[in-house]
Amino acid sequence: VPEAPPPVSAHFVNNVLAAAASYIDEEPETARDVIAELGQFLSFRLTPAESVSLARELDHVGSYVRLEQARFPGRIEASLPSSQGLPAVQVRPASVQAPLADALGRRLREIAGPCAMALRGPSGGARFELELSGPDGGAPDHLQIDAAVHA
Amino acid sequence: MSPARRGLSILAVDDEPRALADVKRLLETAASVEKVETAGSAKEALVYLSGGRFDALFLDVAMPEIEGMALARLLRRFTDPPAVVFLTGHPDAAVEAFEVQALDFLIKPVTRDRLDAALARVEAHVAGAAAGAPAPAAVNGEPAQGGAGAAAGGPDVVAVDNPQGGGKRLVRLETISFAQANGDYARIVCEDGRFLLRTPLSQLEKDWAATGFARVHRAYLVNLKHAVELRAQLNGTAVLIMRDDTEIPVARRNVAALRRRLHA
Repeated sequence: VPEAPPPVSAHFVNNVLAAAASYIDEEPETARDVIAELGQFLSFRLTPAESVSLARELDHVGSYVRLEQARFPGRIEASLPSSQGLPAVQVRPASVQAPLADALGRRLREIAGPCAMALRGPSGGARFELELSGPDGGAPDHLQIDAAVHA
Repeated sequence: MSPARRGLSILAVDDEPRALADVKRLLETAASVEKVETAGSAKEALVYLSGGRFDALFLDVAMPEIEGMALARLLRRFTDPPAVVFLTGHPDAAVEAFEVQALDFLIKPVTRDRLDAALARVEAHVAGAAAGAPAPAAVNGEPAQGGAGAAAGGPDVVAVDNPQGGGKRLVRLETISFAQANGDYARIVCEDGRFLLRTPLSQLEKDWAATGFARVHRAYLVNLKHAVELRAQLNGTAVLIMRDDTEIPVARRNVAALRRRLHA
C-alpha cells in the first residue's frame, strides 16, 4: 500500500498568502500570480491520486519553488531538470517535492542570505540529486532523492 | 490612554521580506501607530532594541539563527521589555507563545480587524504598565492563559492534549458544550470533538463560572449558551437539551437554581 503524500504545511500556506497580500498594492499582477500558483500547488496535493507522471511531479516541484521565491524574493536561485524527455514512470505524489522542501526549508531556516538550489536528474529511473549551497563558499549540501516509483 | 499620549512605536521582525512588507503596510496605516521599524532577523531586532524604545514587537516565530521564541525569552530579562505579539504562519506555536507571556498571537496573513484588536491590546498594555497593571494575554483575539484557565479577566481558551500528533490544542470556551467528570479528569465536548482535560470538574466549575457555565449535576458542567430547552421530569429532576440534542441530566438539588438563572 503506497504511503499517503505528506500533508501540506499550514505554515507554508500561511506564509505564501502573507507574501501574496504584500504584493496586492504595489504589484497586483504578481499577487494574482502567487495566488494562482498556490492554487495549482494545493490542487495537486489535495487531489487524491496514487501516482502521477514524473513530469507532473516536476511541475509540482517547480510550483513549490516559485512559491518559495515569492516568499523570499532574490534569495533562492533554482535550477530544475527540463520536463522534456523524462522517463515515462509514475511516482507517488510529492515524493520529490516533499524531501526537497524539507531540505530547502531547513537550509533557509538555518542560514541567512541567498541559497542556490540545483535539482539534477533523473538517473536510473527516478533518482535525483539535490545540491544546496549558500553564500559562504562552504561545501554544498547534497541529498539524493529517490522518487517512489509506482508499479 | 491619555489624549496627550504619543502613538505606538512598533518593531516588526520577520525574515520573510514580503510578509514583513505586508505587516509594515498594515501597521503604518493603523490609527494608533506612530512609528514602525522593521528588522529581517532577531539579531537586527536586538540592534534596534539597544538603540530605541518600542512599545511592542510584532515577531515571527521561525527565523534563521535566533528564532522569535528565543528572542521573546531574551526580552523577558529586560528591565522594561516591549510587549510581544507573535505574527506567524505556525498555528501550533500558540501554547509556547503564552509560556513566554506574549501579549497576542496572530496568524499570517493577518486581517485588519485582528491587527487592530492586537494593537488595542498593546495600547492597554502600555497604559496598564504605566499604571502598574499589565493587560491580559490573548489568543486569536480572546484573552488566554495556560492550563484550564480562570474566568474573570482571564482566559477564554483552554489548552488540551492534542490527540493527533501530540502537543497542545487550544479550545475556545464558547465552543464547549459541556464538560463531564471522568475521575480526576474532565472530558470536554466541543464543536471540534471531545478532549480529556487534566483538571477536575470542581476546578473547572470555579474557573469557568463567569463565562456562562453552570454545574447542573455532580458529573456535568454545562455551557448555558449551548442549552436550548429545560425539560422537567416527574421525579423532580430535569433534563437540559443542548443545541446538538444531547440530553444532560440536571440533579434535583440544582433544578431551582438553574431555573432562576435561566429565568425559566
